[in-house]
Amino acid sequence: MQFNEYKEMVSKIKLYDYASLLNIGRKWGKIENFTASKMKIAVIGSASIQLITSVLRALLTKYDIYAEIYEGEYNGIMMDVFDDKSKLYEFEPEYIVMLPDYRDIESYCPSMLSDFQEIQTSVNDAYEQYAKIFERIHKILPQTQIIVSNFVTPFFEPLGNLATNYLFSKRSFYRYMNLSFTKNHPKYVFVLDVEELAEFIGKKDFISESAYFFNKSSFNLEYIGFYCDLIARQFEAFSGGARKCLVLDLDNTLWGGVVGDLGYDGILLDPNDPEGEAFLAFQRYILELKKRGIIISVCSKNDEENAKEPFEKNENMILKLSDISSFVANWDDKATNIRRISNELNIGIDSMVFFDDNPTEREIVRTYLPEVKVIEVPEDPALYTRALDREASFEWTQLTKEDIGRVETYANNNMRNMLMSSCVDYDDYLINLQMIVESKFPADAEIERFVQLTNKSNQFNLRTQRYSEAEIIGMKGNNLYELLAIKLEDRFSKYGIIGCVVMKFVDNYCFIENWVMSCRVLKKGVENYTIERIVEIAKKHGCSKVVGEFIPTKKNSMVRELYTTLGFELENDKAGLENDKASSKRYILTQEKMINYKQTYHFKEVRK
Amino acid sequence: MIINELQAIFREIFDNGDMVITRETTADDVEAWDSLTHLQLIMEIEQAFKIKFKTSQLKNMPNVGAMIDAIEELRNK
Repeated sequence: MQFNEYKEMVSKIKLYDYASLLNIGRKWGKIENFTASKMKIAVIGSASIQLITSVLRALLTKYDIYAEIYEGEYNGIMMDVFDDKSKLYEFEPEYIVMLPDYRDIESYCPSMLSDFQEIQTSVNDAYEQYAKIFERIHKILPQTQIIVSNFVTPFFEPLGNLATNYLFSKRSFYRYMNLSFTKNHPKYVFVLDVEELAEFIGKKDFISESAYFFNKSSFNLEYIGFYCDLIARQFEAFSGGARKCLVLDLDNTLWGGVVGDLGYDGILLDPNDPEGEAFLAFQRYILELKKRGIIISVCSKNDEENAKEPFEKNENMILKLSDISSFVANWDDKATNIRRISNELNIGIDSMVFFDDNPTEREIVRTYLPEVKVIEVPEDPALYTRALDREASFEWTQLTKEDIGRVETYANNNMRNMLMSSCVDYDDYLINLQMIVESKFPADAEIERFVQLTNKSNQFNLRTQRYSEAEIIGMKGNNLYELLAIKLEDRFSKYGIIGCVVMKFVDNYCFIENWVMSCRVLKKGVENYTIERIVEIAKKHGCSKVVGEFIPTKKNSMVRELYTTLGFELENDKAGLENDKASSKRYILTQEKMINYKQTYHFKEVRK
Repeated sequence: MIINELQAIFREIFDNGDMVITRETTADDVEAWDSLTHLQLIMEIEQAFKIKFKTSQLKNMPNVGAMIDAIEELRNK
């Protein structure tokens, strides 16, 4: 069986159909060709760990991840973690998934009538045993990301309703523990909300006493699909598959009725009407998505003027035109229009989520743009928010200031485009932007963003080299490396860090080990500025040449000719290439060219 | 016949289209029948017959016959 056939089969299985999931899990050994990216994952959990890994491995194929899994026995966790020569460390996992159970910390529960100090001590002590595990793993495998589930608080509570009135109750203790994970987990630990999954499914179903008594499973294995999917979706985000943009239809999606027929005043958005209320609630949720950094766009079959009117004139509308980063209303098919939005916003098709009440449109998008995540929209608008939310399309690995600011940036981009059309030529336009650029060694507080941009960028990325935070921090104290963080702002917005460079000094030359830029700032001359800075630094280090390399991927064709454009020469001799891929190319900037190296750019101010 | 339905489940789980089981078949007779496959057997039987085994039944299933009896007991309730 081919990997894709297997993936296809997995995609057809519903999460509640545990028998089929177990069945496909057993067929893993029949896959012959692995084309997906490989990921090494260690899972440490309860006794039913083998079932979990088997289903998890199957579900990960949906996200094109081929997982090589190490199963740690939960009771052996101490041995695995605290013995430097354990099998766990020998395996060198990129990710470690830990699935603790509330029973593991039951003995830490405070006694009846404990005071706050005692309760605090109990929680600290219980957390401390996990903190020690995290720290030890991090010390031995500094690049490994740990994913830990929080505790599913049992519904059994000897104190009954009193439990919520006292902080010393078991229920309060487990809740406090979950908060303690949220508050204290280090950056290399990601907390997975299994408690929320249990609540959503319903604890009376999710918790199974007999499953625990029979095989020490912490939950009812009938829900293994939902449980593993929660983990798998997070891996999708970790593997760079985070989605950023929501594409919305208008008629019968954001409001009731067809605006072309009813006019901006006739559409259903009345807060006194139950259905109108439903559309408004959906708009409110979308606004919340925008606030957390999701880019909102519109793709509607309408005349543009008609489509925009409600945003401008209907008093009940919650979403305004300024919330929409890209607005496409015409009579072309939606696959074409989604491609347009993707081009306009400079973001990949695979980072888009499509929400449209019309099943035909959904089918078209599914067929022609399979990379787009298409939400199955229920008929009743009251259920729209739920449908979008539970698909959990926007699972990310972290949230940074830049994410939140980005939405403003995209909305301002539209203003910029208008400005551009009013300028005589492109250089004029750039001058008008009054850009201020800054390049420096990243400060400690900027490392997180530096790593994030380095690992998330796919298009303007010369070598697609990924780094962990620990690696970058390590380079800061290493003479062989120099890092450059490029910041940009213009009269519309502050972009923050939009470019990252890793330079390595080898013998007498400077090797550009990695160079990425955010696609939001393309064609603004930032690359010209950046290369000048690189050359300048190389000169300071006494290098006699600068060496760049291009390693092609599916996504980075936009920088194929970058080095040539910047005056580098293609080197035909591949000996000593850092990478052994036949398709990668090496470029040299000779000493001669380095002497008076100059590129064009239009920044109002340059800070170093 | 319950045993025929069970046989279909066994064949699927052990990936053996020719497998034949009797009331007397035990885990010792089937090489791949370990605690993990046993758990999967239980889960798939519960789904196929729309039943939920009692803990007392789960802990005492020495052979296929005991499985059939347990299914019948739950079905006749």
